[in-house]
Amino acid sequence: MMHFQRFLAAAGFIAVVIALTLLVPRPSDAIPAFSRQYQTSCSTCHLDFPKLNDFGKAFKDAGFKFPKDDQTFLKLPPVMLGAPAQKDLWPNTIWPGTIPGMPPIGLRMNNFFQVSGRHANDFNQLNPAGTPVGTVGGSPYVPRTDFETGLFSIFTAGNFGSGIAFWVDDDISVAGDNSAGGLGDGYLKFVDISRFVHLPKDSLSLRAGRFELDLPFTQARSINLSSYDIYDEANVGAMNSIVPLQQFVNNQFGFADVANGLELSGGHQYGGYHYSIAVVNQNTSGISQSANTSTFVPSATGGANGGLGFASDSNFKDIYSRLSYRFNLERDSASRKAVQAAGATGPRDHTYLSLGSYYFYGRSVQRLAGVLIDNTTPAVVTAREPFYRVGGDFSFNFRTFNLFGLYMYGHDRNQLPIDANGNVIVLPITTSSPLPVGFISGRSATFDGGFLQADYLALPWIMLIGRYDAVNSTADRINGLAMAQNTSFAVPFPATRNRITPGVQILIHANIKAGFEYQIRPKQSVTFATNSSGFPVALAPFRSNAATVGLEWVY
Amino acid sequence: MKRNLIMLGIALGLVSAVAQAGDISGKISAAQGASVVYLDKAAGKASPAPTQHFSLDQRSLSFQPHVLVIPVGGTVDFTNSDSVAHNVFWPAISGNRKLSHNLGTWPQGEKRSYTFDSPGVVPLLCNVHSEMSGYIIVSPTPYYALADAAGNFTIPNVPDGSYTVTVWHEGAKPVSKPITVNGSAKLDMSF
Ligand SMILES: [Cu+2]
Repeated sequence: MMHFQRFLAAAGFIAVVIALTLLVPRPSDAIPAFSRQYQTSCSTCHLDFPKLNDFGKAFKDAGFKFPKDDQTFLKLPPVMLGAPAQKDLWPNTIWPGTIPGMPPIGLRMNNFFQVSGRHANDFNQLNPAGTPVGTVGGSPYVPRTDFETGLFSIFTAGNFGSGIAFWVDDDISVAGDNSAGGLGDGYLKFVDISRFVHLPKDSLSLRAGRFELDLPFTQARSINLSSYDIYDEANVGAMNSIVPLQQFVNNQFGFADVANGLELSGGHQYGGYHYSIAVVNQNTSGISQSANTSTFVPSATGGANGGLGFASDSNFKDIYSRLSYRFNLERDSASRKAVQAAGATGPRDHTYLSLGSYYFYGRSVQRLAGVLIDNTTPAVVTAREPFYRVGGDFSFNFRTFNLFGLYMYGHDRNQLPIDANGNVIVLPITTSSPLPVGFISGRSATFDGGFLQADYLALPWIMLIGRYDAVNSTADRINGLAMAQNTSFAVPFPATRNRITPGVQILIHANIKAGFEYQIRPKQSVTFATNSSGFPVALAPFRSNAATVGLEWVY
Repeated sequence: MKRNLIMLGIALGLVSAVAQAGDISGKISAAQGASVVYLDKAAGKASPAPTQHFSLDQRSLSFQPHVLVIPVGGTVDFTNSDSVAHNVFWPAISGNRKLSHNLGTWPQGEKRSYTFDSPGVVPLLCNVHSEMSGYIIVSPTPYYALADAAGNFTIPNVPDGSYTVTVWHEGAKPVSKPITVNGSAKLDMSF
């Protein structure tokens, strides 16, 4: 019982952290490392870094190489790890390769200034009366204005020859405000392994390690200051006394979470088909097992019995797949098939329409301290709740105008704990609740939503952004403040969290960007009264708009 | 070379009857960068447009050569030797924005030609690779030279007389000064 409460508290904490990350701008990377290797400008690959232009997409597809004649463009020749002729002697010698002539390293730093709406602290009404802010159990106090340090991250990426690409990025800020030091992506990609099995060129590549899922629109390398709400949506079921709906679902999986696993992919991002299918670790609790200090558990950090630890909290491996097709719309067929379209005044991005779909399947696991059917013998009872996220996306591009959007439907099976008499245990579980012996299915926890965004590069250094985010969830309380227990905010009110976010980004130097965005949210309430018909009525609705300015530089 | 000889031949044919000719030579000292020396005006003769084309390549994300000198009326073939698309444009010629031009884009192995009828400095840019930089110096007369890596140059067979000579050096303001050729002339300058 205590375990479960602690579990709930931890889950609540995580939910608050997730909510806060909505306010804290997310990382985005441009790769000065490549700029150094090829002695070329950011604009060779990026529109408004880190947004890739068509050439940048082709460069990435090719394994961080120029799609053709890469060696003629490299200004820093790679170091040969063995003569190419050594290949003839294999297996009596080591298969040779290359490493970049200089470690391809890029660095990135950002700072922010945020203005929060006057009502941002109205969320404190979620706390029991008399709870001071900033204390354990109390909401943090949100100042009207705040200077925030972002992150300092290092990233390195390139190619080892033989079509083997690598990428590692790491936030090395481990102290200071918002420091969230940690590994981002870290993977090897074996590009075009289709050539070994006589499949069409680029139809099969393998990526292994740690990576962002092949999302229709990247989050880790997004130009936006704030992340897409739907990508952060953890599916947390409704458990509220004023509505009959009971959902024992606490799935902390977020679509933009970094995944550990393997991915097969093929096709191109700059035209034609593209697919990927990945098998990745399941971690729906959001708690890393590498923190486990039990002497019976080998730790990933080597702290316990040595050996490898565990990053997954389930035996099941999740599956993600994506399929998309991009129609380049130039009339001239040679131009249509080229990496970039031939414009009258120079090459430019294609006019295109891209359509895609994606599907994620996993099995969330919740383990509870319970009893056997005799109602006395202690036992761990496990709820396995299969879940999926499915959706579609589109992107339309004309010159420097790009309109794109994504829709997602999320579905988690809802396994309600039952006691030895077969009765559903009323949620949330407390110390006086009966012990669970098993589970029965209840109404599934679902959500849907997405985003629609328009980017317009008005000048090569000015990007105008208009964006709409929406998340509809039966359980979503205000802006992700899910799991705040015993709050009266619940389903009868629009449980949608949506916002309109206009923004502008200005490259004040080729490698320095100033960004601004304003998040406009609908009115919401945290306090309610009951009207004469017995329905709750929202009191004192308020908005919690926020404006953020970011300054980011890469070198 | 052959082209120069022909032009010189024409020039000599015009002037040899009345005057002696000599070389202008010297050294343009600079920390780095190419220098071009040319005569602003060669009195009493119109230089015919050269018939042979000059060539300027785009290779490994750069303009090659980085600096090209041509006489006014000269035609340059812009080739693209890279497997990536390039563009060539110039926002102005010697600061005159009315003379800006964009040649568009063309695939690997192909070329576009352009005839430069206005003398001046043509800064070449590529709107895909903003780091790409090149210069065409369109000399008003057929008397010009591109200094070598050490800065040494020779403008051969300049008819005796008084001229204005201009020295262009990348990144610096062009410098003009009078020069008199009497058999030969020396010009040393540093940037
Ligand atoms: Cu170019």
